[in-house]
Amino acid sequence: MTGFARRASPIADDGDALSFCSTCAFSSACLAHGYDKSALADLHVLVEHVGPYAEGDRLFREGDPFTAIAAVRAGTVKTCVIDHAGNEQVLGFHLPGEIIGLSAISNARYPCDAVALDTVMLCRFSFPQLALLATRMPGLQAQLFRLLSQDIGKAALLSGDHSADARMAAFLVSLSRRHAARGFSASRFHLTMGRTDIANYLRLAAETVSRVLRRFQDDGLIAVDRRELDILDMPRLQELGRVVLRE
Amino acid sequence: MRSDLSFDPDLLRRYDRPGPRYTSYPTAPQFSEAFGEAAFRDAARRSNAEPIPRRLSLYAHIPFCFSPCFYCGCNRVITRDRSRAGTYLARLVREIARVAPLFDRDREVIQLHLGGGTPNFLDAGQLEELLDSLGQHFHFSAAPSRDFSIELDPRCVGPRDVAALARMGFNRASLGVQDFDPKVQDAVNRVQSVAETMAVIDACRTSGFRSVNVDLIYGLPGQHREGFARTLDIVTGVRPDRLAIYSYAHLPRMFRAQRQIDETLLPAPEDKLGLLRLAIEKLSEAGYRYIGMDHFALPDDELSQAQEKGGLHRNFMGYTTHAESDLVGLGVSAISHVGDTYSQNPRDLPAWEAAVDAGRLPVWRGMRLDADDLVRADAIQQLMCSGAIDVAAIEVRHGIEFGSYFGTAFDHLASLQADGLVEVDAAAIRATSRGRLLLRIIAACFDRYLHEPAEAPVRFSKAI
Repeated sequence: MTGFARRASPIADDGDALSFCSTCAFSSACLAHGYDKSALADLHVLVEHVGPYAEGDRLFREGDPFTAIAAVRAGTVKTCVIDHAGNEQVLGFHLPGEIIGLSAISNARYPCDAVALDTVMLCRFSFPQLALLATRMPGLQAQLFRLLSQDIGKAALLSGDHSADARMAAFLVSLSRRHAARGFSASRFHLTMGRTDIANYLRLAAETVSRVLRRFQDDGLIAVDRRELDILDMPRLQELGRVVLRE
Repeated sequence: MRSDLSFDPDLLRRYDRPGPRYTSYPTAPQFSEAFGEAAFRDAARRSNAEPIPRRLSLYAHIPFCFSPCFYCGCNRVITRDRSRAGTYLARLVREIARVAPLFDRDREVIQLHLGGGTPNFLDAGQLEELLDSLGQHFHFSAAPSRDFSIELDPRCVGPRDVAALARMGFNRASLGVQDFDPKVQDAVNRVQSVAETMAVIDACRTSGFRSVNVDLIYGLPGQHREGFARTLDIVTGVRPDRLAIYSYAHLPRMFRAQRQIDETLLPAPEDKLGLLRLAIEKLSEAGYRYIGMDHFALPDDELSQAQEKGGLHRNFMGYTTHAESDLVGLGVSAISHVGDTYSQNPRDLPAWEAAVDAGRLPVWRGMRLDADDLVRADAIQQLMCSGAIDVAAIEVRHGIEFGSYFGTAFDHLASLQADGLVEVDAAAIRATSRGRLLLRIIAACFDRYLHEPAEAPVRFSKAI
């Protein structure tokens, strides 16, 4: 199966040839460099809005031929691999405005699965065409490199030997910053990923995730109501996560 | 919530109209058979996926009674054949083994309630088997604050049984009394002496039960002031930690047992109100506080304390100090509340038995609450627990603008406001001391389904 081909839908509502979706991963590249109408139109033509995907849908599978990267337009995407014993390993969560598929560039095949955690909409970019356009748009090229390096940096986040508290704090701080970067609230957001996925990603047991969160809550760092999370004391949370965030 | 209560007979008379009691919102008549086993499994899975999954409350229903109390509207089966306890228990254990694995093991059981029917239709050995099975399949909390309660019929439980229950882990008991007046007991077919009742209360205390609740009912056939006053004096004299004073709702078309009641003996509405007034006066004199919706507690009881601190909650089993938990109902007719769903097992015994025998989860009907249901459920829950709705809290939690969202509710509230039942300002909707006995009438203003044309008429008991 070719990535993201399912349930293609015509170009949607909130982006057109002149203005990009508010969450577009490339909008900053274009707007900041003052590209004119025709350049914007060039990029926009490459964009195919696909979705919606339902919770649990696979957007691509490990080994699928790589043809496109995609920006998450709505919802959350989990990337994961299945190890030899058949166990899932969560590699990351991708929020609106973030890119999936970058790690496929080197091998021409997707090295992992991508799964919709809720209702997901994507902006799909044909990679060959995007690369071609980047040669004409330095801003776009710079943005691509930035995204690639961020992707590598995120993967490194959890490779160290850190305490459960530090991992969890870093995870929450990271989510907060990523929400804020797209103009959403930094202190109150919905945890779209289930606790098993969070546990798997942080290499913790599910009950440890809950125990640490409950303790954070008792200590006045956060408030949790179902899947709604309020960050009440960001400085202390940052301090706890500092070793993981490497600040 | 302020525990003051003022009794306004004129208001109570005018608002004595049928309405739901809001042990849930939406109420059970909204449940649909489209919600079945698969939906229940999905709800359990989602509840496990929350970052801090809720702790669990368990309810097990024992439907059997040795003889029919004529006032009863509960789901029960009258039999003297004790062997039915064993066959029922065997199926209940199979249901437990099937339902429990749906919930992650680290979700502790902080509340357990056995209701009926008559839970002690099961003998001590059978109850122990039930507790063993629950404890093996679920993860019981070891915290001393856990509430394990059982409804006891003092007519068929002795001090030795009570001691056995305490050893099994029960720490709260609820005793049905209704009225000690022999004429009333005769008229409702429940003859129960003061002595046997007191013996059970004593046994609960000496066995280490943390709390004893007594249920009384006003409005029963043959009931009158002098007799009920004596009952109230006897009951408050032994100082149960909690007391419930229920209104008898005579709905013989709905409840077969009530057709046995001689309607000519029912107190006139005036007299029934007089009995409620008497109960409130006697309980206030004895130092009890009004918790809300028929419930009273001593000032040092956890419910009174929680009410002061704003930590009171309410679920299908009544008021509780435990923060919101997911409720798993087991046995015939039992209701579950898992995540944003309600569901109920079959109400008739053969249907429940067939489902269990077929290896299924016995889910008969239920519903998933939508965003609108959740806003309204939150508002009604607040009203029931604290006597007030905190406007800002609802706005933040649900992302709504209260005034515009509840435009229709405010229309309904206007007449209640004019009558002095509620105070409305920008910060809160608050029941007045006169409105506190009519919480369900205030809550009804926020009930969307009540104001929509129903497909079939739904019958609710009257407010008082």
